[in-house]
Amino acid sequence: MSLVRAERRRFFKRRLTRWVFPIGLLLLVTIASILFAFHSKPTPEARARGEAAAEAMYQEQVRYYEQYKRECGEKCPDDGWTGPQRTDFRAEDFMPPSFDFKAQYGELFLVWAAIMAMVAFLLGASFVGAEWASGAMMNLLTWQPKRMKVLGTKLGVLLLSVAALSILALGVWTGILWAAGELRGTTEGLTPGVWQSFGLTALRGLGMILAFAALGFGLASIGRHTGLALGAALAVVIVGQVGLTILFQMIRVQFWEQYLVPVHIFAWMNKEMKLMDYSSPETVCDNAGNCNPPELLITWQDSGSIALGLVVVVLAFAFWQMRRRDIS
Amino acid sequence: MTAVLEIQGLRKTYRARGGPRRALDGFEMYVEAGQVHGFLGPNGSGKTTTLRTLLGLIKPDSGEMRILGHELPRHLPSVVGQVGAIVESPQFFAHFTARDTLSLLADAGSLPKERVDWALELVGLRERAKERVKTYSLGMKQRLAVASALLKQPKLLILDEPANGLDPGGIREMRDMMATLSAGGMTVVLSSHILGEIQLICDSVTIISLGRRVAAGPVAEVLQAHSSGQVKVALETPADLSAAAQVLIAAGFQLQANADHLTLSGVDKPALIARLLAERQLYVSELTPVTADLESVFLELTGTAPVPGQVRSVDQSVRPELTPQSGVNS
Ligand SMILES: Nc1ncnc2c1ncn2[C@@H]1O[C@H](COP(=O)(O)OP(=O)(O)OP(=O)(O)O)[C@@H](O)[C@H]1O
Ligand SMILES: [Mg+2]
Repeated sequence: MSLVRAERRRFFKRRLTRWVFPIGLLLLVTIASILFAFHSKPTPEARARGEAAAEAMYQEQVRYYEQYKRECGEKCPDDGWTGPQRTDFRAEDFMPPSFDFKAQYGELFLVWAAIMAMVAFLLGASFVGAEWASGAMMNLLTWQPKRMKVLGTKLGVLLLSVAALSILALGVWTGILWAAGELRGTTEGLTPGVWQSFGLTALRGLGMILAFAALGFGLASIGRHTGLALGAALAVVIVGQVGLTILFQMIRVQFWEQYLVPVHIFAWMNKEMKLMDYSSPETVCDNAGNCNPPELLITWQDSGSIALGLVVVVLAFAFWQMRRRDIS
Repeated sequence: MTAVLEIQGLRKTYRARGGPRRALDGFEMYVEAGQVHGFLGPNGSGKTTTLRTLLGLIKPDSGEMRILGHELPRHLPSVVGQVGAIVESPQFFAHFTARDTLSLLADAGSLPKERVDWALELVGLRERAKERVKTYSLGMKQRLAVASALLKQPKLLILDEPANGLDPGGIREMRDMMATLSAGGMTVVLSSHILGEIQLICDSVTIISLGRRVAAGPVAEVLQAHSSGQVKVALETPADLSAAAQVLIAAGFQLQANADHLTLSGVDKPALIARLLAERQLYVSELTPVTADLESVFLELTGTAPVPGQVRSVDQSVRPELTPQSGVNS
């Protein structure tokens, strides 16, 4: 379709796309490279040194334990502790870290998703905001008067383009971390199940990135200016997050963390997030008699539905306004 | 002749800060095929509002509009390809080049790529097409706007103040271009405040004041209808002017004496003057009706002629009564 082609060309011609995405990508490459640089594969010498250091530490702890035993003698409490265990002192802990792809790659999805979400929000906001502010949108409507189609096409092109850029970034990111695993650690233990879990996490990350793009787009379209979306984001961060934190702590709202965006991002990406209320005088005990402070479990479904609701409301308002407003 | 553009009983009230503002109040307009039609009116009289409404950018409160026989705004999507428009110095995305700007529009309208170069050539921007719009002068942006309107090779071209910012050469080029386009069958609606220009290139005009039509029709007819019947009289022997003046005053004419001629007003039969004077051996060397120019007709009709010592506010102009046929058909 011609409008789709025009919008796709417009998206990739924009200066912001040509700057912000490379900057985001550069950030990811830098982080991945630092991870690469600070890990190394265990050489036999490093392992030997690690073993020696672990053994030395073990011996030292044993000495301390025996000295303590001598000092308290008969009065030692019988807490069942029999002294340091050799297995607690692993050579790995005394060696330069090596990169375990299986263990670390999954946790690092959050870095990719967060950086790309920021990029996506900016691109989404300015893609439609600059159009409104410059009058180019009005111009376009004298070519294509079906407003819903124009705004819908823009949104569709934005989401697809952002998805493509995010997948590209993920490819680069994964490539460097894979190299880190191969050259500076291990890529062992990658069963199909592990890959599947990676895939699902990547999909959730992509969903989050697209949600941010849509939010930026919707807000900027409602305000007819990129600045509105950026202002709203800033307001949420400063008033909503910093302010709420201070307020809720003062009036002691239980589980106030659940109102913070990062908590939900974390819950979404890591499937769940457990909030503990350490300040509560009450504790919750299970059948086995283990007592813990009260806790609140936020699942990725919880966070996902809140985010989806928000995106739907903002977009619905943006489209409704587009349908009825006078453009002058 | 078929009407390319028809507007009847168009009303629009803006909800603005400081209360509702009635911008169009039963406005009507007809433009016939192949004409260059001037759309005149004082500032804030509703020209741009009318054109935006036609283009579906603004929703009218009531009224009927048709372009090429299609009812608007319902069938706008099917005629929009035949309507090229610039509305009040359109802004473009400043960081794109002129060529990119036009080629994106051409893409959006499924037009062939060659059109872009054709349009740029036509407005004299081909050499500078690779520069960003941000770096253009006012007149160059205006030329780009005209190019974007011409890109569709439309049947109806709507230009809202296209001469805004153009240099004298540019204005003349624009005039020639419009003549060529209209000779090629294009209908042009042109809003402008440069009345000399309108008088030169327009076949017909519509004059609007405070959202209502005050005059419409072929330029000559509008001028004629609102010329005040003045006649200029000169004699073979200028020394006889005062004698002639006395004769004419005695005959009941209103006149004004000038150094070498008399100006009479309210004359319906100029021949009578020659006969009256000839009876007294006063021989007329020149007897010509004074036609008003568009500017004075405009100022009279809209009531916007400056009065010495008074400052006129923008909304002070004539609001004509709606005549029965002028579409109170809501
Ligand atoms: N977006 C708007 N909101 C509120 N009022 C508006 C808006 N646009 C125009 N108006 C008002 O409507 C009236 C007509 O404005 P319009 O722009 O149509 O005038 P115009 O004939 O194009 O004037 P000009 O010769 O100065 O371009 C004016 O009184 C103006 O203040
Ligand atoms: Mg105007």
